[in-house]
Amino acid sequence: MGKIKVGVYICHCGVNIKSTVDIDKLTQFASTLPHVSMAKEYIYLCSDPGQELIRNDIKEFNLNRIVVASCSPRMHEPTFRKVLRSAGLNPYCLEMANIREHCSWVHDDKIMATQKAEATLSASVAKANLLEPLEEKEVDVTPAALVIGGGIAGIQAALDIADTGFKVYLVEKEPSIGGHMMQLDKTFPTLDCSACILTPKMSDVGNHPNIELLTYSEVTDVKGYIGNFKVTIKKKPRYIVEEQCNACGLCVPYCPIEMPDPFNMNLSKIKCLYIPFPQAVPAKYVIDPKHCRYTLRRECKQCEPVCKDLKAIDLKQKEKLIEVEVGTIIVATGFDTFDPTLKPELGYGLYPNVITGLEFERLSSASGPNLGELLIHGKKPKDVVFIQCVGSRDKSIGNEYCSRVCCMYTAKQAHLVREKIPDANITAFYIDVRAFGKGFEEFYDRVKQEGVMYRRGNVSEVFKRKDRLVVRAEDTLLGQPIEVEADLVVLAVGMVPRSDTAAVAQLLKISQSPDKFFLEAHPKLRPIDTASDGIFLAGCCQGPKDIPDTVAQASGAAARACIPLSQGKVRTEAIVSHVDETICRGCALCVEACPYEAIELKTIERAGKTVQVASVNEVLCKGCGACVAACLCGVMQQNSFTDEQLLSMIAVLSEHYEQI
Amino acid sequence: MSKFEPNIVAFLCNWCSYAGADLTGTSRIHYPPNVKVIRVMCTGRMNPLFVIQALRQGADGVLISGCHPGECHYLKGNYLARRRFLLMRKLLEHIGINPLRLRMSWVSASEGKKFADVITTVTEDIKRIGPQQSFKREAV
Amino acid sequence: MNIQKLRDEAIRAIGRKDVKYLIGYQRGSYGFRVSPAFIQTKEDVDRLIFSPLCHLSLTKYLTLEEIIPVSEEKQKASKIAIFARGCDSRALNQVIAEKGIPRDKLFIIGIPCEGVIDRKKIEARFPHVTDPADVIEENGKYIITIGDQSHEIQKEELLADTCKVCQYPNPFIYDKLVGDKVAPRPANYDDIKSWEEKPLEEKLDFWLDQFDRCIRCYACKNACPLCYSLVCILDRLNPQWVKRSNDTSENLMFHISRAFHLAGRCISCGECERACPMDIPLMKLNRKLEKDVKDLFSYESGKDSESKSPMTTFHVEDREDFIL
Repeated sequence: MGKIKVGVYICHCGVNIKSTVDIDKLTQFASTLPHVSMAKEYIYLCSDPGQELIRNDIKEFNLNRIVVASCSPRMHEPTFRKVLRSAGLNPYCLEMANIREHCSWVHDDKIMATQKAEATLSASVAKANLLEPLEEKEVDVTPAALVIGGGIAGIQAALDIADTGFKVYLVEKEPSIGGHMMQLDKTFPTLDCSACILTPKMSDVGNHPNIELLTYSEVTDVKGYIGNFKVTIKKKPRYIVEEQCNACGLCVPYCPIEMPDPFNMNLSKIKCLYIPFPQAVPAKYVIDPKHCRYTLRRECKQCEPVCKDLKAIDLKQKEKLIEVEVGTIIVATGFDTFDPTLKPELGYGLYPNVITGLEFERLSSASGPNLGELLIHGKKPKDVVFIQCVGSRDKSIGNEYCSRVCCMYTAKQAHLVREKIPDANITAFYIDVRAFGKGFEEFYDRVKQEGVMYRRGNVSEVFKRKDRLVVRAEDTLLGQPIEVEADLVVLAVGMVPRSDTAAVAQLLKISQSPDKFFLEAHPKLRPIDTASDGIFLAGCCQGPKDIPDTVAQASGAAARACIPLSQGKVRTEAIVSHVDETICRGCALCVEACPYEAIELKTIERAGKTVQVASVNEVLCKGCGACVAACLCGVMQQNSFTDEQLLSMIAVLSEHYEQI
Repeated sequence: MSKFEPNIVAFLCNWCSYAGADLTGTSRIHYPPNVKVIRVMCTGRMNPLFVIQALRQGADGVLISGCHPGECHYLKGNYLARRRFLLMRKLLEHIGINPLRLRMSWVSASEGKKFADVITTVTEDIKRIGPQQSFKREAV
Repeated sequence: MNIQKLRDEAIRAIGRKDVKYLIGYQRGSYGFRVSPAFIQTKEDVDRLIFSPLCHLSLTKYLTLEEIIPVSEEKQKASKIAIFARGCDSRALNQVIAEKGIPRDKLFIIGIPCEGVIDRKKIEARFPHVTDPADVIEENGKYIITIGDQSHEIQKEELLADTCKVCQYPNPFIYDKLVGDKVAPRPANYDDIKSWEEKPLEEKLDFWLDQFDRCIRCYACKNACPLCYSLVCILDRLNPQWVKRSNDTSENLMFHISRAFHLAGRCISCGECERACPMDIPLMKLNRKLEKDVKDLFSYESGKDSESKSPMTTFHVEDREDFIL
């Protein structure tokens, strides 16, 4: 192998590192470390000239190990690995010393920060001296994707991937795709009819040859890794034979059971043999097993004989488990609305004319319970009050974030009230009005000009006085408390993560942010990726956003999901474990410790005896190192994280530096 | 007379705690400079014997930090580490080594503030109990 | 224990076509000493003894690399017969679970054990004995015969400390059982518990004192039935976890590492402590881990040959009150 020649490169990162760490001292120090051929400093190592500097030095001076002291390896390890590769050096001969996120940005004492940087650098050089070049293997990618969730995000992502030419499995929990967007009346700021702009896309999904639509289905298990996921999907029984049902609806009058209509936010009733809404995709009926007399008590069966020609009703249908193989996964599971019973002072659940924003959408919608007429107890409301920030920006209930869409949808809903009830008194209580997007400020202006009274203040209580609702708030601009009487109070509820978010996170091994939405890989530069390669996020499951942002992110997720699919191959982990077969005694502790079942015992001949030793499957191994810690004999080691390398770092870092 | 500045070696798992520590940096939250970091991919990789190696080569304390239970990027590494380090802590206490010299924490990638708090707590505790000099390795 | 019954069983065992040889006990070089016996013929069987002096953990001799030469007719035999007391059988189970030796390679003669004598105690009581000595147990007493002299000592005075708290005198695994079952003693970790109460400084002073005396002879490792790595990690030079010099720091690292590697594996035979020429109380370390593994993870080693190690398994509800 020859002599180890280490090149050390220390980054100023502009002033980010230089202002706290003494770069000159550090560079001098670096040149005294074992096997260091050269130590250089540069203002921005990640820039083109910075990378060129390293590249040229490797070629000119035959450097075979590189240490970069700069930002976190989580930032630029891939960048500098590419540099090594392009210089003809194995990319795993790189070690990075984090002297920014873990040093210059968090310590103010320059002397101690420099000492710490010296120690960190020293440890990285010690490890670099022991690094070995590693081989990267490639495996084939299954040319298919899975999209979990059939709202606008899932629909957009599925269409984009399918149009690119790859197969997509679109899994949706409900009997029809469409999600919350289908429930909306008009969308801000254009006042497009939500269902009208959504249904053509839904139709495209239903007709697309590359999309396999699995509705009324849930993902129950995900195994594997990028390029090779194995997914188990549970198809819940509709009690309707999908291939036979033509949605004629002749069976419905024979069903005797009514239930609250979930699509209409339980504001009206529907038969338990139902189609979620007229434009449902797929246009198939479904029987709700929680209400059907047959599924509950083996009675009734009045619907079955009605469908005698097509025989589309099968009350004995069972759930099915399907296994699919995909290369990438997009999570587009959407959101729930905040439950305002958590703020009992607002009277939701107590008074029937206190409703949520989503319930308002259904009341206002032409396909809603009142066919678009805004009626409360059969009468048009004269005094309508909107309350913003319900469940958002609220420390008391633990949701500190802003839900982004509520200011605009409140403005839109205020406009719809004005349109339907021209002489209504409309008040909107707000803390701020966030009209940040394209056309938003203009729309808000228009709504104000339509005579909607915006009053700045938090609402403290909604209560009944005689037979009227009263909204009590503080008008902060007037500096005094006020009371407004109302026939209808609309709570602008925020978006919260769906109740099953934690379960989905566990299923896919992705994380949640502190606000419990799914965590993106990097909040600025990788807002679509998750920390797990091959799994991407789209829509409100990552954080509250409106429809244009959702669609944009969904297309972004589709593009990113297609990258491995179109590359056709994916590199496997290089930092896998390996066994010293000369002294392994086959105790199988590593086999047990491995989370991926990547280790097996195999039989070999050794010194005239037939013995069993551990053997690592390098494709299945993800490089966690649990096997290394489990091995009592030191026989199992992890590439780039060997005991020798870590012990050398421990020896360096444990040393006390000179005390001040 | 110089004030005792502890030397603490921290093993952080790449996916959660190291990322959390990075976030502490990007958020510019300050903490004492006594902690030196070794990155490993998972707490499951961490051998409890590393702790004694560190303590006898100059470290006054060791911190092991990983993902919250149920959130390990590699499914179960942190569960294994939890058992191993609980046992090592008890063994150290049995020998007479203050268990405060071996600390463990769960810090997720979004817990930048928590990481700073953990470092501050650990540093203060070690400052209080003093340096580890009882079984230091002899110089070569 | 009827030695004749045991010898008859031994003859039957080595008479089997599939048994290469039997591992048992024989008189040692002098006095109270005992050696392992490798029995292949009927004549060899006469050498077999079984008395309270038989402290060795015979499992150790199954995992040595040395191959015992056998007669031509026994070349094809696949099994080794072995005596196994309670703790021995746990060692066997543990080694089988760790795939150190296949179960079907063993013919186990289980012997319920009334406890063994601590050789250091008896040699202190009867120093410089070179004549062959015998011991039998009768009515709670040991009858010790040295040459033509006979002595009677109370059992508890000479019984090994590890046997005083033995919960498992009856073998867990055997093909044949010789002897009557013995009543187990109740679990007793009082000494460990009272040690836990002591201040840190006192504990550290004590242990540093002990580790100071260690001469790194590795007798403990060699005597232990569960230390059978082909190359001990603490011996390796690459990477070198401990230096070979016997200073306090290296010795401390050696002993803590060995104790930790035995966590969930040690079967409390006490051989390490017995073998130590410097009288280091090694069982005080091992029993602490044994107690903790039992309390924290509800696991005791060697009770069957299928159990998974507590160090590679977990419960979601494992203790984590020590975690920030």
